[in-house]
Amino acid sequence: MKLSIQNISKKYNKEKFGLKNYSLTAENGIMGLLGPNGAGKSTLMKIVATISQPTQGSVELEGIDIIQNPNYIRKVLGYLPQDFGVYENLNAYEFLEYIAAMKGVGGHGLRSRIEALLEGVNLIEAAKSQIGSYSGGMKQRIGIAQALLNDPKVLIFDEPTVGLDPEERMRFRNLMSDLAQNAIIILSSHIVSDIETIADEVVIMNNGTLITKGTLAEVIGQVEEKVFETLLENSSLTEFKAKHLVVNTNRQKDDVWVRYISNDPVTGSKAVVPSLEDAYMHLTKNRN
Amino acid sequence: MRQLFKIVISDYWQRTRSYAFLITLAISLFAAYSFVPAPDANYTTLRIGNYIGVQNAAWIGYVTAMMTSVFLCLIGFYLINSNIKKDIQTGVGMIIATTSISNFSYLSSKAWSNFLVLLSITGIVFLMGITLFFIRSAGYPLSMMQFILPYLLIAVPAIFFISTLSVAAEVFLFRYPVWMNLGFFIFFCILGSQQSTTRPLFDLFGVKTVTMSMQEIIHKNNQYTGTDVSMGFIFGGKKAIGSFIFEGIHWNISIILGRVAWICFGWMLIFISSRFFHRFDLKQTFKSGSKMEPSDIISKGKILHEIKVSELSPITPDYGIMPFVSTELKMLIRKGPRWLWLINLGAMVALIFAPLAVAGQIILPVLWFLQVGRWSDLATKEKTNRIHYFTYSSYKPLTRLLTAQIISGLLLALALASPLFIRYLIALQLSSFLGILLGGAFIVLLAVSMGILSGGNKLFEIIFFLLTYLNVNLIPFADYFGGINHGSPYLLLIFLLVIFLACISFVARRFEIRRL
Repeated sequence: MKLSIQNISKKYNKEKFGLKNYSLTAENGIMGLLGPNGAGKSTLMKIVATISQPTQGSVELEGIDIIQNPNYIRKVLGYLPQDFGVYENLNAYEFLEYIAAMKGVGGHGLRSRIEALLEGVNLIEAAKSQIGSYSGGMKQRIGIAQALLNDPKVLIFDEPTVGLDPEERMRFRNLMSDLAQNAIIILSSHIVSDIETIADEVVIMNNGTLITKGTLAEVIGQVEEKVFETLLENSSLTEFKAKHLVVNTNRQKDDVWVRYISNDPVTGSKAVVPSLEDAYMHLTKNRN
Repeated sequence: MRQLFKIVISDYWQRTRSYAFLITLAISLFAAYSFVPAPDANYTTLRIGNYIGVQNAAWIGYVTAMMTSVFLCLIGFYLINSNIKKDIQTGVGMIIATTSISNFSYLSSKAWSNFLVLLSITGIVFLMGITLFFIRSAGYPLSMMQFILPYLLIAVPAIFFISTLSVAAEVFLFRYPVWMNLGFFIFFCILGSQQSTTRPLFDLFGVKTVTMSMQEIIHKNNQYTGTDVSMGFIFGGKKAIGSFIFEGIHWNISIILGRVAWICFGWMLIFISSRFFHRFDLKQTFKSGSKMEPSDIISKGKILHEIKVSELSPITPDYGIMPFVSTELKMLIRKGPRWLWLINLGAMVALIFAPLAVAGQIILPVLWFLQVGRWSDLATKEKTNRIHYFTYSSYKPLTRLLTAQIISGLLLALALASPLFIRYLIALQLSSFLGILLGGAFIVLLAVSMGILSGGNKLFEIIFFLLTYLNVNLIPFADYFGGINHGSPYLLLIFLLVIFLACISFVARRFEIRRL
């Protein structure tokens, strides 16, 4: 599968853009989207999921324009939006049957597929209770299960780990890796470590534009030898922040350990191994 | 006080910046225009025996004020009765609960903003009344007091009381919206039916004092004794009508105090409600109820499972709409309290045994109206439940899902009307049979189209309530299912309306899907 996004823009009014002349190509594997709020991640995902239309540009799946033929991708799409809801007076079985009908999935195997998915997200015991009585994490797991109902080849997950506990997050990451062998997965998260752990490719966005795209090593490579740590007095921290991009602080009595990014480190600083978070901060803050 | 004012104004702005409010304003303007019939119109709105007033400032001012009072009491309640519910749904209520605002202040602010919404509509109708005076009065002088006094003393206390009543209803019946809607319908019908016998002090609408004064004028100037008051849209019989000159009434202190008493009753309702207000502590109530929250297996420390993609059953494509129809029907049936089905069953039994005219003209419209909560969000529940991300990204959502929603709504309407259906078939009344079929389609498509256009269920609820009230009062133009008019041309008209609404629904939904 190959998904090709060509020069798409989403204009809300004369001055406000959701996306500006954005191009991207994705193939089987996990593409992690990073960016601050308002960067255009959700807009991009909604356009690929065919629920929003770009002002200009094209999106093609296997060479077919899905802006013109949205039903082409819808048959193979699994989408987990950021702020989805549920019909609270249906139980988990009924809700998944309903979503399966939307996706055009039926037949004798449907029931066992739903059972397997509910078992996999650990909701089989609560499957006969109305969803209105579920906790936030349980609803999120229902969301994950619905995305897999139609054996999707394109999966879009917008902040999928919100509401999941650490163990569930780990299980979700394993699932992503499993699915990525045969599907394009576009994953957005504010939790940089989630992306760092599983993404094959990382895309960083800001203000509706693509800032960088590459493998984890390529993106982190952009801050190679630019990340340092130093110990400062508490009182000098404000002045230091004005001059350098501080990514982390750790207070200790009168002093503070500071992790910062700079081309010109202060005396006494120690170079450290950069992380994706460092690269993200460097690439997004330097362009604001 | 300043804070309260800010809350009221913010609340008022967010409620008036909606399509539902704009459409209600448009309906109000149209209704206001019809309150003073043209000389050649075949209906009257206020008639004392066989007399109507000449169209001077007092007649136009008082009639429009009285009609506004009744009209806004009727639909106003349904327009404003979800003010607290919105704070629950948006989660704003949880924030409000943690602030220092007292229950009384919060509920007062809700009552004031309700009142401002209704007052805005009253203001528009007031201006329309003055415009009508210039159109309809034949040389009579304009006296502004003949407009200001009736609006101030008839309409304003009535809408203020309705504003507080809706807050009280939300406090005490927030879990039982059906009771709220049905209870007000009954309350309104009782008030309406008691108009001829009630004393002015107990007349919420404030029309009794005025009609009594009009009756006196007719008694004095004519030896005619038949002075029954007919108020509402009364069709026919206009040729035999005489006229009289009405110059307004003298507002003495006891009449004014009688009207102020309704404002005091309103405040009393707010005060009592504030003692019982849940202050958004709803979760606790839920837990202590019968529905228990299922425990999450993850918190039990049991062995957890993972999804094994390779072990999932293969999928079979199925693009039919029957699974949708089945689930939509399930949701329609489950919506609302279970006891409502007992009332539905009772009404269906009544459809079997009541005289055909009563069954067709009164029981059926009321039975259908009881389903207002089920139909009103038929095509808007995706958005209110935030499911639309799934539905709009599904395969052919327009032709499959919307069609299934309309079919399931229609199936419910026809199932409820089935006893009458069978009776009409046995009696070989095919036009009545067709009328119900078209009426069911009309009301379901009205719910769908109004829902999509306004983005909520309020507009449909108001129109459906109005239609039902007019139907029960046998007003011919509101007959959407041929209960009164049986001819083929009339059924053809309903059929064309059904097609029109279907087109609007599909075009508007298509536009909505593409513009999300």
